[in-house]
Amino acid sequence: MSDLFAFKGAEGAGYAQPDPISDEFDFPASLKREKLPRWPRASEPEIVRHYTWLSTRSHGIDSGFYPLGSCTMKHNPRVNERIVQMPGMNDIHALAPASHLQGMMAIFHEMQEMLEHCAGMDTVTLQPVAGAQGEFTAMRCIQEYHRDIGESHRNKVIVPDSAHGTNPASAAMCGYEIIEIPSLENGQLDLDALRAVVGDDTAAMMITNPSTLGIFEPEIAEAAKIVHDAGGQMYYDGANFNAILGKTNPGLMGFDAVHYNLHKTFSQPHGGGGPGAGPIGVKAHLADYLPAPLVVAEEDEEGEVWFDWYDPPKSIGKVQQWHGNAGATVRAWAYYRRYGRELETMSEHAVLNANYLRHRIMNPPSETLANIHAMPTDGAPAEVVKHEFTLSMTPVKDSTGVTGKDVAKRLLDFGYMAPTLYFPMIVPECLMFEPTETESKEAIDQFADDFLTILTEDPEIVKTAPHDTPVKRVDEVWAARNLILRHPMDE
Amino acid sequence: MTGGSVKPPRRGGCGDIVVDQLPNLGREQEMLSAMGMSSMDDLFSDIPEGVRRVEPLDLPAPQTEEEILREARMLLGANISLDSRPSFLGAGLYSNFVPTMVPMLATRGEFLTAYTPYQPEVSQGMLQAMWEFQTMVSELVALPVSNVSMYDASTAAAEALTCAVRVHDRKATQKSTIYVSELVPPHRMSVIENYTQGAEIFIHKLPHGVDGLLDLEAAASAEGACAVYVEQPNAFGLLDEGLVQLKSLIGENTALIVGVQPVSLGLIAPPGDYGADIVVGEGQPFGIGPTAGGPIYGLFACRDAYIRQMPGRIVGLSMDSDGERAFTLTLSTREQHIRRHRATSNICSNETLIALMGAMHMALLGPEGLEKLARRNAGACAATKSAVLALEGVEAVHPEGVHFNEFAIRLEKPAAELLDFLDHECDITGGFDLSQWWPERENELLICATDQIDIEDIEELAEGIQDWQEGYE
Repeated sequence: MSDLFAFKGAEGAGYAQPDPISDEFDFPASLKREKLPRWPRASEPEIVRHYTWLSTRSHGIDSGFYPLGSCTMKHNPRVNERIVQMPGMNDIHALAPASHLQGMMAIFHEMQEMLEHCAGMDTVTLQPVAGAQGEFTAMRCIQEYHRDIGESHRNKVIVPDSAHGTNPASAAMCGYEIIEIPSLENGQLDLDALRAVVGDDTAAMMITNPSTLGIFEPEIAEAAKIVHDAGGQMYYDGANFNAILGKTNPGLMGFDAVHYNLHKTFSQPHGGGGPGAGPIGVKAHLADYLPAPLVVAEEDEEGEVWFDWYDPPKSIGKVQQWHGNAGATVRAWAYYRRYGRELETMSEHAVLNANYLRHRIMNPPSETLANIHAMPTDGAPAEVVKHEFTLSMTPVKDSTGVTGKDVAKRLLDFGYMAPTLYFPMIVPECLMFEPTETESKEAIDQFADDFLTILTEDPEIVKTAPHDTPVKRVDEVWAARNLILRHPMDE
Repeated sequence: MTGGSVKPPRRGGCGDIVVDQLPNLGREQEMLSAMGMSSMDDLFSDIPEGVRRVEPLDLPAPQTEEEILREARMLLGANISLDSRPSFLGAGLYSNFVPTMVPMLATRGEFLTAYTPYQPEVSQGMLQAMWEFQTMVSELVALPVSNVSMYDASTAAAEALTCAVRVHDRKATQKSTIYVSELVPPHRMSVIENYTQGAEIFIHKLPHGVDGLLDLEAAASAEGACAVYVEQPNAFGLLDEGLVQLKSLIGENTALIVGVQPVSLGLIAPPGDYGADIVVGEGQPFGIGPTAGGPIYGLFACRDAYIRQMPGRIVGLSMDSDGERAFTLTLSTREQHIRRHRATSNICSNETLIALMGAMHMALLGPEGLEKLARRNAGACAATKSAVLALEGVEAVHPEGVHFNEFAIRLEKPAAELLDFLDHECDITGGFDLSQWWPERENELLICATDQIDIEDIEELAEGIQDWQEGYE
């Protein structure tokens, strides 16, 4: 075990720095710090070994298959990391003159146009730094649009009960009241339920398509018509965009605004929780409200292109103080260049892999099936799924007492990250799988075999899993009751 | 595309597959057959005719890693970096030096390519690293609790304010009311306004004297409100002794929220020691360069009373089923994936990896290293200030002020003209034109000197300013 606060080097131990260029400063006594923070005193080799040890106790995509549904855990090309470490990225300043940022702005401009094209939107801003912030930003634009056209009474936002938690949370932060509508038995959007709640107080509907069940909503165009007829706006949660590039787009489906997750669809690494980036695209009627600034291109008489900042005339202002996660934008640019128009092939393979994994799990070889205590059921009946699918472990639980969580924990023993657990909430004992396009057939076959093996195992082994991980099952209740949120030092 | 067939694998001129990221390219038929399908189109048969895309994506052909790298080098090479010339631009983002070890270790795949640690049994490394980060931030600002990061200083300040309203509004005599320093930069203020308008929070501005320091008499009127937000140092780089008394003026039921430049805390009293309830700030100087403003990370630390209303992820110590020490995310019942529209915040993805880089940087520095880094910044600022203020035609905006990192000067002509001259004639990035924030400050320039400024840089700046003045005299 390595404890950062156990490094007790001599006073002054640590990273060596040049001396100050002047000592001619003084601060009032009342503002002087009396006691330095109790940070470790360690040499570089000790710190390197500490963090290397920590890294061996973490699991990333690089470590193994990561079928975490809704999160699109695809391979992260390393050239992207190389690029953001290059001169001209790490040490540029958001407030520098535009003439100092022409290269970055060229990349921004290309990304704005590419994202507009892929989603069928008119204008894109790259400022929001996460998917949830993209949702918040778009809902703010819709709110200002309604205020502007004299419809500020529209104070309700409709979300299906299968929606990501960020959708209602983001709308509520804008001050909206949330109306949650139940899904149909088959997991699809219930148009009658939608018709029953829309009205002249409807500001917007927020929905992802394919849905969180991995199913393409067949009635999406009709849903958009219902909301639009009531005077509301359609918001597209882009978390599942990886499934549909080149096949359809939110504009064709009738959406007015959309966010993209550059950390899902465009391979910005998830970094253990972030950074992400959540640009949004909107149709023309919302473009004047976007956060400032956007990048515009101007051509002079000699054909030289110059990039400049542009503040939309009725802008909501800023949602992040600078230009969003510029580094994520540059990584996503490098990723998109690698595929270009073959982004469509990328989506095809994401969907191919998801359907193949679903097929392999749900059709076990007969000799395996004979040993399986109970098979899971489809979270939603469908001929084909898109980039992800859900399974209900209820039959397994009923037959052996093994829960979805137990199976998820047991998968960790096989070197896999667990699928998304207990989401969406409309599927009981839900496991949600998203293999992504960057897994090979062999990796998927092996995962399916291992998953099925778990269903044949002694239930006690599964219920007490994991067994072969750095720690055994962690007591989350104890953590919440005791709240030890920092190192106690010597106290 | 016509149905019924599998597209041939995409190949380049030498028979190579163009996209090298897809293991199953060219092997689609095998997988389709296993499922009883014949074509990739079968996989998309569920998309209704009316919403199908007819034309293929109008995007360029795929590129190889080599080609992308070449183009990236060309494009990013067109940017002008702070470290490529003497640069005195700060105003919230600070040129720094990140030890080589930091990006090398943070980009280890186990950290870089992990998701939020929802499965603690295989995420102990990142969880422990974040718990250590929480500890170092807690020590730095002298408050017991830190979260794992916010997006940046502006969203940290905004969510600190909404958090304080949730905690204090019941007892507040000034309902849903907050007081914010008038010197908060407009971009940050805009974020605060966007985040607070939904909860119908009233914002009063706190005035300052001509000395740039908070008007304490006016600040006392915030008593009974939900929160007060001030910054130390403020937007002019001024350290304000008056803030030490602020908590006693506003009382127990009003949250004191202080925004900091974290490096300054190597020399300056941590706000927790003078009564701050929540401390926020731009973590950027620890761990990552200015990066055009992102990804960076916001600091958020608070007293225990705010824990259940705070935004963001937090790691707690626990134990596993064998009773061994183990870490896990905790207090998730505050969060959107559980609480949905009643969550304390919509934040989900945050800036964990950048906070990890910050933690590595802090751990390498150690206590005395932090102090030295603060001295380097204070020293560079002092040396720059004395050199610039010695020039004819330059006066201090706050002559009595005590500064950290940056200070404002008043010129005889618009600051924008000097900045253009320094940029084009001297290859110097001279600072920030304060009229971009406050139009009435047309002749005022904010000059920032961090640890990356040396004596020669200062001499060049002073000469440049002198040359400019001689040019217009």
